[in-house]
Amino acid sequence: MVGSVPIAWVLTLAAALFCIGLFGALSRRNTVGILMGIELMLNSVNINLVAFWRYLQPTGTVGLVFAIFTITVAAAEVAVGLAMVIAVYRARLTINADEVDTLRG
Amino acid sequence: MPFFDLAWLIPLLPLAAFVLITLVPAIGRSRKASYTTAIALLAISTVIAWGVLFQAVSGDGFPTTPEPAELVHEKVHFEGFGTFYARSFAWAPDSLSLSDQSGTFNIGYRLDAPVALMLAMVTLAALCIHIFSVGYMAHDEFPAGQQRQSRFFSYIALFTASMLGMTLADNLLLFFICWELMGLCSFLLIGFWYFKPSAREAAKKAFITTRIGDVGMMLGILYIYNASGSLTFGTAPGQIFNPEFLTAIGAAPSLISGMTVASAMALLLFMGTVGKSAQFPLHVWLPDAMEGPTPVSALIHAATMVAAGVFLVVRTYPIFAVSGILPVVAFIGAFTALFAALIAVAQYDIKRILAFSTLSQLGFMVAALGIGAWVAALFHLLTHAFFKALLFLGSGSVIHGMEATVGHDPEKAQDIRNMGAIRKFMPVTFLTYIAGYLALAGIFPFAGFWSKDEIVADALKESHYVVYGVLTAAAFLTAFYMTRQIMVVFFGKFRGYEPRPNDTDHSEAVAVAAHGHDDHADHGHHAHTAHDPHESPRSMTGPLIVLALFATLAGFANAGMLNIHWLSEFLNQKAPEFNPTAPLIATVTALLGIFLGYLVYRNAFARATDRDPLARALGAAGK
Repeated sequence: MVGSVPIAWVLTLAAALFCIGLFGALSRRNTVGILMGIELMLNSVNINLVAFWRYLQPTGTVGLVFAIFTITVAAAEVAVGLAMVIAVYRARLTINADEVDTLRG
Repeated sequence: MPFFDLAWLIPLLPLAAFVLITLVPAIGRSRKASYTTAIALLAISTVIAWGVLFQAVSGDGFPTTPEPAELVHEKVHFEGFGTFYARSFAWAPDSLSLSDQSGTFNIGYRLDAPVALMLAMVTLAALCIHIFSVGYMAHDEFPAGQQRQSRFFSYIALFTASMLGMTLADNLLLFFICWELMGLCSFLLIGFWYFKPSAREAAKKAFITTRIGDVGMMLGILYIYNASGSLTFGTAPGQIFNPEFLTAIGAAPSLISGMTVASAMALLLFMGTVGKSAQFPLHVWLPDAMEGPTPVSALIHAATMVAAGVFLVVRTYPIFAVSGILPVVAFIGAFTALFAALIAVAQYDIKRILAFSTLSQLGFMVAALGIGAWVAALFHLLTHAFFKALLFLGSGSVIHGMEATVGHDPEKAQDIRNMGAIRKFMPVTFLTYIAGYLALAGIFPFAGFWSKDEIVADALKESHYVVYGVLTAAAFLTAFYMTRQIMVVFFGKFRGYEPRPNDTDHSEAVAVAAHGHDDHADHGHHAHTAHDPHESPRSMTGPLIVLALFATLAGFANAGMLNIHWLSEFLNQKAPEFNPTAPLIATVTALLGIFLGYLVYRNAFARATDRDPLARALGAAGK
């Protein structure tokens, strides 16, 4: 492991990715954009999990299993999320989150 | 100058251009700042790339000599990649060595003769195309009136960076990452005019079709990693071209009976080539990819990206050499060469003719690799990049000029039946186009003559008579369809004042016309104005002239007839003996094709609505 990219760099990348995702999810009004932000955050967590596994516990498999679990959940989430976006678009001809506020109290 | 040590900058500078244009608002908001950034940084890359080439040529190759490796296998005469220069750094812990934590996965770059040649070609062609785009895209406006050209230049800068990165990569993983980035850029650029449904569909089609091949390629890479524990190009122990490793995989049976591990690996990798280089049966995306702006067609779908598939086989040739699947490669290549040339004869869209011609020429290269003519394939790849970029940019120039007359409707502006006598209106475009045409048709002494001739000569010498026959037929058709295009576009009578009605009268054409990729105020905004086509601005004709010089002269790098074997020697391969039969037959075939094309299409179209003489002769079958 001597000389390879230090774990801090990998974690910095993951942190940066998480911030970009968070910013996207909070600032976007387009529902697809929000979904993409959430995906970015999930992926940055995956990078963290895999990096910790690889650098700290390479003989175990917990980190890998966690990462695969996250990927599976993310895939399901996107399938549901996009289906909802399409359903909303068909019903209201917009996917702008500000305009889809019928349920607001 | 220590150009070898600067080589890592070659892909990083265009990448920096992409990042700057995307992230720095001061640059991204201004069209001029965007293209200045992209062109300036790429120009530095170009200087470094040519510096590397000249340093390698003058300094007798690269500093490191590889471990001795005999890679001669049956009829394949491949003598390794020769001297090289490699630099890498440890990227990540190597996950295969779980018990031994000292292993790392390295990434870096590796310079050797084929890489130096590719870098020089790609940077120069890309630079010409960047400059051409400034003029061609000058009037591109988004329907809402925003400028999107910054985005265009950031995409082509990213594309160029990934192509250069792929060329320099010292391992298959980095190679694959850059390869996929190119697929992404291809998607973005084909769909650049995404308000056209056809462009959207074409972008999706290109992305999905190439992805099919890429899955195979990724499996191949995993297979190699699993077998060797490394993905690094090189012959040292533990690297993937290590002779012992190659012998072992060449003998070990795979799970499929009758197939060695090497055959399985090579077939999987070759799937990537079939997708990226648009070989049968995954060729379907390339003609549709012409929906993108013309400089994109030139950059991606003629000069560089489609050449990446061929370069993959060039790069991993030791594995192919021991795999025993080279006949499959040769068959697919030769079939594609003939099949695409046949389709090209019946096309009317100036860009689609060139697209099918690209398919056909890629077939030549793949067939050359399949018969063991490694040098000839690389040689043809380089010369083809120059003359095909030239032809595509020339067609872009013609389309640009035609739009002055027929308006901004691609279906009208690209239909060769609406053209004719363009040589009178656009003399520079005409002359440079003729250089590209003669190079593609394989006429002495243009570049295509030498490279194509070397492929067919090798096929004849190695007694691959079927491949030889098919390729000769394809070469005949090449001369024929290109003569057809030249006669119909540049000669005869100008028919653009009364263009053909569109075959499909869709309302979309109106939207496109309103958008107009070059909405000159001085051209008038309506179709059917009586303006003549005009010559393109100097920013467009300049790159044409540079490329025309290369299309004319590049062939002398390996002119067997004149006893020049510079390229073979530089690539560390034995120069084939010169045999006058093959070039003689090739020249006669090309001249016959040109003569027949001239006879049939001399005065084929008096009006834009006339039928094609071949279609008339074939009657119902020609419909």
